[in-house]
Amino acid sequence: MQSFNDRLSRLAALRPAPRSTEAPRFGETHTHSDEDPLIRRLGAAVLKNRYGEHLAVRQWFSSPPPCQAAPDVMHFLLPLEKREKKSSGMDQRCHRIADFDAICDPMQWLFLDTETTGISGGSGTYVFLVGLAWWDTVGLQVEQFFMRDFGEEHAVLMELAERMSSRRVLVTFNGKSFDWPLLETRYAMTRVLKPCVPLAHLDFLHPARALWKLRLRSVRLVDLERHVLDAARLGWRRDDDIDSAFIPQFYFDYLRGGPVEPLVGVFRHNQMDLRGLAALAGKILATLPSDQSVRHSEEDALDLVALSRLVHKRGESERARQFYEQALSAELPDEIGRAARRELAMLVKRSGNFTRANALWKELARGLANGPQEAFQAFEQLAIFYEHREKDFKRAANICRRALKLLRQAKTSRRYLLDPIKSAQIEARFEHRLKRIDRLATGLFRAKQGLLTETVGF
Amino acid sequence: MACWLAAHAATSSPLARVEEVLSSFASRDTSGEILTAIHHIPAREAQWAQVPGWVHADLRAAYEAKGIRQLYTHQAAAAEAVRRGRNVVIVTPTASGKTLCYNLPVLNAVLENTDTRALYLFPTKALAQDQLAELYDLDERLAHRFCVYTYDGDTASDARKAIREKGHIVLSNPEMLHTGILPHHTRWTRLFEALRYVVLDELHTYRGVFGSHLCNVLRRLRRIARFYGSELQFICSSATIANPGELASRLIEDSAEVIDGNGAPAAEKTFVFYNPPVVNRALGIRRSYITEASRVAQEFLKASLQTIVFTNSRLHTEILLTYLQHANRPLPGRPETIRGYRGGYLAGERREIERGLRSGLIHGVVSTSALELGIDIGSLDATVMAGYPGTIAATWQRAGRAGRRSGSSCAVLVASSSPIDQFMVKNPDYFFGNSPEHAFIQPDNLEILVNHLKCAAFELPLKTDEKFGSVDLAAICARLAEAGFLHKTGGQWHWTQQAYPADTVSLRSVSSDNFVIVDITEASEVIGEVDFPSALTTVYPKAIYLHGAQMFHVEHLNFLERKAFVKRVDADYYTDAIRYTQVRVLEITQQARSSEQKPAIPAARSHGDIVVRSQVIGFKKIKFFTNENVGAGNLELPENEFHTTAYWLTLERALVESLPFCISARQCGMFGLLHALESVATLLLMCDRRDLGTAIGERPSSPDPSAEWDVVDAKNSLEKRRSEEKDFFEPNLYLYDAYPGGIGFSEPLFIAHDLLIRKTRELIAGCPCDFGCPSCVGPAGERGEQTKHAAVAILERLVA
Repeated sequence: MQSFNDRLSRLAALRPAPRSTEAPRFGETHTHSDEDPLIRRLGAAVLKNRYGEHLAVRQWFSSPPPCQAAPDVMHFLLPLEKREKKSSGMDQRCHRIADFDAICDPMQWLFLDTETTGISGGSGTYVFLVGLAWWDTVGLQVEQFFMRDFGEEHAVLMELAERMSSRRVLVTFNGKSFDWPLLETRYAMTRVLKPCVPLAHLDFLHPARALWKLRLRSVRLVDLERHVLDAARLGWRRDDDIDSAFIPQFYFDYLRGGPVEPLVGVFRHNQMDLRGLAALAGKILATLPSDQSVRHSEEDALDLVALSRLVHKRGESERARQFYEQALSAELPDEIGRAARRELAMLVKRSGNFTRANALWKELARGLANGPQEAFQAFEQLAIFYEHREKDFKRAANICRRALKLLRQAKTSRRYLLDPIKSAQIEARFEHRLKRIDRLATGLFRAKQGLLTETVGF
Repeated sequence: MACWLAAHAATSSPLARVEEVLSSFASRDTSGEILTAIHHIPAREAQWAQVPGWVHADLRAAYEAKGIRQLYTHQAAAAEAVRRGRNVVIVTPTASGKTLCYNLPVLNAVLENTDTRALYLFPTKALAQDQLAELYDLDERLAHRFCVYTYDGDTASDARKAIREKGHIVLSNPEMLHTGILPHHTRWTRLFEALRYVVLDELHTYRGVFGSHLCNVLRRLRRIARFYGSELQFICSSATIANPGELASRLIEDSAEVIDGNGAPAAEKTFVFYNPPVVNRALGIRRSYITEASRVAQEFLKASLQTIVFTNSRLHTEILLTYLQHANRPLPGRPETIRGYRGGYLAGERREIERGLRSGLIHGVVSTSALELGIDIGSLDATVMAGYPGTIAATWQRAGRAGRRSGSSCAVLVASSSPIDQFMVKNPDYFFGNSPEHAFIQPDNLEILVNHLKCAAFELPLKTDEKFGSVDLAAICARLAEAGFLHKTGGQWHWTQQAYPADTVSLRSVSSDNFVIVDITEASEVIGEVDFPSALTTVYPKAIYLHGAQMFHVEHLNFLERKAFVKRVDADYYTDAIRYTQVRVLEITQQARSSEQKPAIPAARSHGDIVVRSQVIGFKKIKFFTNENVGAGNLELPENEFHTTAYWLTLERALVESLPFCISARQCGMFGLLHALESVATLLLMCDRRDLGTAIGERPSSPDPSAEWDVVDAKNSLEKRRSEEKDFFEPNLYLYDAYPGGIGFSEPLFIAHDLLIRKTRELIAGCPCDFGCPSCVGPAGERGEQTKHAAVAILERLVA
């Protein structure tokens, strides 16, 4: 009475899957019997290896041109913890000089960007298009491997391992957390193929974020192209670029014999991402401070702050100081300006330049109305300075009293500068300090008196 | 503790004090209706066995250092069976050393070959945490020769890598395996390549919907293990139920050896059934079981006996805690000696209470089921249960919390007036005899299976010749491809969706079509989800929705977006949906006479597929405590239709006509009977009342399709029916699985028909009410005065 098919028809679990796009399914379609129109549209070749066939598209672009990498900026691109022996700025993992030479030679880099069936990861997310690029003497070679169906995955992965074995420095944008782990999963799923482990993996998302997030807020590749790379002169235009959210659906449609045209757009998108990555690499290498590099006076002050922080994090305090000063001499938004002053003050304090530090703290203390937190911090630092460094207890105590007065005024007028909890914490800290200073001061007074009495007693 | 005990310790031993308290109960029970059973369980000696010769010397030494020189017989038997490569299910009571049954063989295997891996699954995170302490201790004694980790939602992300690489034993739960481990199995290569043992603790909790899901998760686990070349051996442990072996082999889809000869010693124990006295015989109203439970607990506490009180809800935990703390004020400046324990408490507070119980600083604890499983709190003197915990297995687990090895202990079950509680206290043999509780699963429920098939395809492409359950995989895959989920290439089905399928499949409900409950009292906040079928009867507009003892008023129901917007309220009533339900039989799988011995009895039993069409047409407001009807409302909600499986009893014309009652009284009798049948069925199936639906309909006498739908709900539309005064000639009394596709209750009910009828008769006949009460055929006020007599008359004819 109830056929199995009837029962299946009622299942919620079998309701049609949601489509991410209702984009028109335009253009030529293909069937698996005749030649794939993609081959013609892309000028693709069918590559064959011992795991089977897949499509490959090879193209050459004159832009972006190859770039230079000064060895002393390379350490910015390698993870911090691997750089403990700073003497030569060398990656500890690269024991052999030859390896480090390869890492420092952009001509040996392999750019990689993948297009996938999803972004959530897991073993059911496939990489259907692997885009690779490398510089030759005058321009950029781009090669793309594409699986026309799931059965071609082995062949693509095999080819990728081959390419990676001849260029052992992998360069990506967000590849450390996305593309590479996903590829590792794909290799693991084959149970036979092993990925070719690169000598180093340079993920340019991280330096890009460190350098431009402060100014741009969003550091997607397209944002960087537009605001950092001078999009007009890049040599490609994103005007008719596809929306990357639709990429998986375009591929699924193609698999089911749908149109090839959207996929042509995906190939182009991938090419632009690779070229954008190469251009970004050049830009980052030029921006990162090397011993030879000179800063331009018209450089954006926000970028200089970001640069200071980056350099500071790497332990180069003198260069960080220079950048901070340079940034502060230009116009900075209030909030960033305060932060930069605070950071610079701590930096110069550590190097023993109290004159400069005091000047910065005094500036910050004056800006109570807009930056109460930095102001009270500055009061505290000044109090520390006079208490511990100068042993001028009277002055230290006065600073504490002044800070306490300001805090209490704010409290009684119910116009809190800070949230009440924070305010109470700061108040407690100043009270504590003041008590100690008073104790110290009287102690000192007594000691002096004692000394005096003794002298008199003589 | 010291002074608390001192008062009594000088005069009497705990044993004597337990006796004293019991005799004081007995002396007050003049009518003999309160203490319905006093069951003595004599102490039992330990049955010892040698530690098997194959056990690694270091492991043997580690256990010896803990004071374990010999094993209980069941521990040795389990270890030997695992050693022989068998799947086992160990069935033993609380505190019988079951963890050793799996730790010993697993650790031995790790010591023999350090590449061996094991996965332990516990139904809750807390249980996994609790096991960790024991394993750490062994690890310490074995000079850190193995690594053990918990892996759950709380695991820090930077610790996860180490767990995946190094964990010899990973303690997790089914949800984590389902959404965290299997979809990312390539990161767990080290585990899967060497995975040999899977431990399923508290196996009896995997029944019904949860069990059906777990079975499918295990199908996926075995698939992935095979992909990495591993075959799995299962070690299960279960509380005492009637069919542990059957449940285990259905879950793991392989044979399993049952180890059930408990060799652990036990102290003498007295089990008491306490039925609160009747205060209104006509309406069958008894004194509140919460107050009674508090009195009982107080007597134990007064006699300086350390006591644990179990309740079935958080609300009752708080009420009982207030009573008992009030009666046991600590000395000024001293900490409370009576504490509460439930899910909402912070971990640190819970650990403190556990320590206090072990050290004796805490004299009494009031807990929800949170303390029922696993957690180490030592052994107390007395357990008081405020209300029947729902299953015999859980009752024994709770009772097992009392039982110092040296002394004597006592467990008291204080019955509420619910039919199940009343049945239990009046039928002690049912409880103390061999367990009649069966755990059932239906892993091939299509809705559940197809959801897991999607997950499986995501994890690893499905081969066209693969098996997954006992269904036609090719047909399902073809449908999944049509719906856009799969794509076939070269003999394999690949996943073709961006979404991550496991995320949308909850292991606790059948369909993922859920309603989200949004609290809009202040800022909008999602406070929970209810599945589609229950949404219709719990979150309709103007309903009072109870969530964690807090009441909410449903302001608005957005049916299309599947959202219910609620506001916190403090009402003195709750709401009950008035549902109109129709049932139609689609296919009869099996049919037989009601009684095999006496086929002449004019009744039949069947099970098969049905379609249930129901609509909530209104609701009633019912006042708390008095159960007065204080208002009603009409609703216009969409109709819900689903296909499921049912068991039904057909009363044939001869039987119906032989009943010496008017038509309306006969109908009342049938509804009353169905109410009682449902209660007993939930007992036999270890399920919740909401897992079963009931309906009465006429057996289609003619093939006229229009007649097929002539069926109504048993619960709330009685008045409507009665006004129509329709005569049922040959009614079908349906008990159906309240889940689309069915969850495996129908066939067992068909098989257990005799027992069901017999126990239902005992329930109704044993009830002291005059005209029916909530404990048997339903409240007398709602039905007619003849309900109970008519129901009994039907039952008498069924067993005549």
